[in-house]
Amino acid sequence: MATAAEPLIDRKLLEKLERLTIRWQKSFPGLVGGHNLSRYPGPGIEFLDHRHFHHGDDLRAVNWRAYLRLEKLFLKMFQVEPRVPVRILLDTSASMQTGEPSKLFYAKRLAAAMCYIGLVRLDTICIQPFSDHLYDSFVASGGRHRLMPAVQYLATLEHGGSTDLLQVTREFVSSYAQRGLLIVISDFLDDADPVKALQYLADFGHELLLVQVWAEEDRTPPWDGELDLEDAESGARLDLSFDAAARQQYTEAFDAYAAALERLALSNSGRYVGVSTNTSIEDVIFGPMAHARAVQ
Amino acid sequence: MSLLNLTVGEFVALFSAISAVLIALYLLDRTRRRQVVATLRFWKPAENISTKRQKRRIQQPWSLVLQLLGIALLLLATAQLQLGTRNHIPRDHVLILDTSAWMGARSGRGTLMDHARLTALAWLRTVPAGDRVMLLRADVVATPATPLEMNHAAVESAIRDSRPGAAALNLDSALAFAARIQKLHNRRAGEIAVVTAERVADADSAAAFVPNNVRLLQIKAPADDCGVRRMGLRPSPSDPAGWQVLVTAKNYGSVACSRELVVEFGGAPVGTRTLTLRPGASEETTFSFHTRAAGWLEARLVGEDAFPEDDRALLEVPAHPPLRVTVFTDDPGALRPVLAANPDVIAAFQPPSSYSAGASADVVVFDRFAPSLRPRAPSIWIEPPPGRSPVPVRQSEDAVRLVRWNNDHELGAGLHTRDVQIDRAEIFSAGPDDIVVAEAEHGPVIVARDESTGDPRSAVIGFNPVRTAMKYELATPLLFANLLRWMHPGVFRPLEINAEPVGAITVRLDRNSDPKSVRVAADDRRPIPYTIQNGELRFFSGSPGTVRVYEGGRELVFSLSLPEIGDAVWDPPAHIRRGIPRGLPPESPVTETWPWLALAAAVVLGAEWMLFARGRRQAHVIRRPQSITERALRRRAS
Repeated sequence: MATAAEPLIDRKLLEKLERLTIRWQKSFPGLVGGHNLSRYPGPGIEFLDHRHFHHGDDLRAVNWRAYLRLEKLFLKMFQVEPRVPVRILLDTSASMQTGEPSKLFYAKRLAAAMCYIGLVRLDTICIQPFSDHLYDSFVASGGRHRLMPAVQYLATLEHGGSTDLLQVTREFVSSYAQRGLLIVISDFLDDADPVKALQYLADFGHELLLVQVWAEEDRTPPWDGELDLEDAESGARLDLSFDAAARQQYTEAFDAYAAALERLALSNSGRYVGVSTNTSIEDVIFGPMAHARAVQ
Repeated sequence: MSLLNLTVGEFVALFSAISAVLIALYLLDRTRRRQVVATLRFWKPAENISTKRQKRRIQQPWSLVLQLLGIALLLLATAQLQLGTRNHIPRDHVLILDTSAWMGARSGRGTLMDHARLTALAWLRTVPAGDRVMLLRADVVATPATPLEMNHAAVESAIRDSRPGAAALNLDSALAFAARIQKLHNRRAGEIAVVTAERVADADSAAAFVPNNVRLLQIKAPADDCGVRRMGLRPSPSDPAGWQVLVTAKNYGSVACSRELVVEFGGAPVGTRTLTLRPGASEETTFSFHTRAAGWLEARLVGEDAFPEDDRALLEVPAHPPLRVTVFTDDPGALRPVLAANPDVIAAFQPPSSYSAGASADVVVFDRFAPSLRPRAPSIWIEPPPGRSPVPVRQSEDAVRLVRWNNDHELGAGLHTRDVQIDRAEIFSAGPDDIVVAEAEHGPVIVARDESTGDPRSAVIGFNPVRTAMKYELATPLLFANLLRWMHPGVFRPLEINAEPVGAITVRLDRNSDPKSVRVAADDRRPIPYTIQNGELRFFSGSPGTVRVYEGGRELVFSLSLPEIGDAVWDPPAHIRRGIPRGLPPESPVTETWPWLALAAAVVLGAEWMLFARGRRQAHVIRRPQSITERALRRRAS
């Protein structure tokens, strides 16, 4: 059983993650860096195109040879190798505390692993925790040696609050103008419809990688008989008698919800990965994440 | 296989009741398990299904099954399920041994009691060693000789110590007692073995209801027995020194008997009769004899029969001496008729000059004479000289008229003469402890004084009843009779002596007797409980002895020396078992299973607790959902 004292990630796993790269499908304008090519021009090495010079352009990019022949100022444009920020939206709401191990602990480990994969490839990783609003973020960049501060930051995160993805989306869009890869690690158990909020993020231009984390009891409750249920986030109560037939009905509803999330991601050129906390982090990364081409 | 502590019916009833309660609890209420979940979003569709099924299905049916199984095992352990033959299930038997007086009758070489003991021992030997047996000695009451005893040697010893009693058998109460004993103890009821010669006290004592588990061990009764059933002795109404003897004899046997009845007093024959009695018939015979001396009166049936104890009745006749009255008078002719009227009084008349204080007399009468020394016997003073009267004379009056008799005291009982003119009478100054018997207009004229002063009883009459107008009144002899009875009550008390069998005695009381004056006491003056109903007094004595009944002035003596032989013969119903059972089935080992049953119940209930009550998570096979991407990749790979 995992506890808070257990390290989020171990060396053996880190060695296995060395060769992986976080992949995204969209092209984003940004700084040079990383391994995802961009169709947007910018300061780079590989020539891309020419355009007319405008006032204020950098004179160092003017093609003087063309000016001598044509007496017109052309500006050379280079293909940008952008340092597109990879943002990890990490759900720390109260519902993430359920399960054994807790979903939050599992999500922290997954976020640490993704963070290490990005840092190895010199990506900039922004860890943004949220529940009903955004909390203070942590940005890690500059190589693998910056992993430990990120891990320490993740370890300090505690569960609390209720999930409000719509509010979080509003704050996120207003806080981060630059589009990029957005890895959302959550159980997506929002009382309101989370699809609408996620769709809003996709429409804004972010590439979504939805990682749905569930505990086995979230999908297949093991209890039978008379139950007095309490919502971990809202505290709402529900009394019911639960049996095998009701369990099957429950699981079908859960699977339908997961399928809706997956359809949303795929329809917006994003990816969806659903993982159970019973699955090891290594199996998740080299299994579903690799299959979804989230890492390569 | 059988249950030791419960019958199958009791077990089924108990288990059904507990199961019903348990199922009702499952259906009505089940403790809700509180659980914190991540969201209620997916529970709401499931709620519809579970709510529909909630009322028609038992929740956690396996938990219920395990609990019912555990309870059934516990009940079986409590009931002590045994594996073995049914004959070896311990049972409770009651052995009713007839110890009535009739069991003392001779039959063959021994008495009926000897045969009964042997029969009871033979039956006891057929009882399995694990069975408990209670010995009930039954005559008019059923007395447990042993508790329900598994130690058969103790029962055997009690059987050997059993002796015939003096009362008749009340089989009805004995059977009822035995059935009640078996019902009170929570074991399987065994047999009620009745060892009896079937002679019961009366038809009411025969068992009206005979339980099905009765086994009759019949003792064959002898055919010939005639006995004295009752003997009574009362004073002869015509002869003051005479007695009347009434002897009742009965033929208890089944053949006619002809016996000679001899009555003797102090060894001297009183009379002889030859009685010829048909079976079951009884005959009363009367004899008379004359004596005032004490002695033993015996009635005896000459000859031998099976039960000699009832051939002889014995009564103690008390002495019946007359009352000796000495009258010191100068005119003996006046008082002679008054005293001669009572046959129990012998009067001697002497002149006053011959008086001696030590004269041997039961009562002394002084007629117009007062001795210098008071007599040591009770005394009657008639017109004593005023200065020497035992009760002070206040005055002497002429033409005195009697106005009142003290009818509340026994001295004035029956005296009603009034308005008699007496020429001259002495008026006494009665003390506070004195008894005023008669009063004139001027004061007391007859006063009595009891032993409270330390002197013998005495009475003072202020006039001479045989020389005045009282001479012609009925009150005069009654007054003397009352005075003599008050001074010597034992002489005049009517006495009746009866020889009766022990048991319940019924006495018809006088119509005018006061129930408050009735007293029943044993020979040692120990009071005996009694009841009075419809003018009949009833008491019970279970052992031979003498009981005295005092009823006003009457005394009845009951010499309970005759054995009580039952008047009726019990006719047992045909359905009951009879005789000694032939023997036991071969022994087979009995396996005690209750420890294993209790262990199994603990295991089952513990498993139920581990599986359900502790809320341990059940293992569910969970299949991870296959995502759309995975399905697409799988399709692409294929």
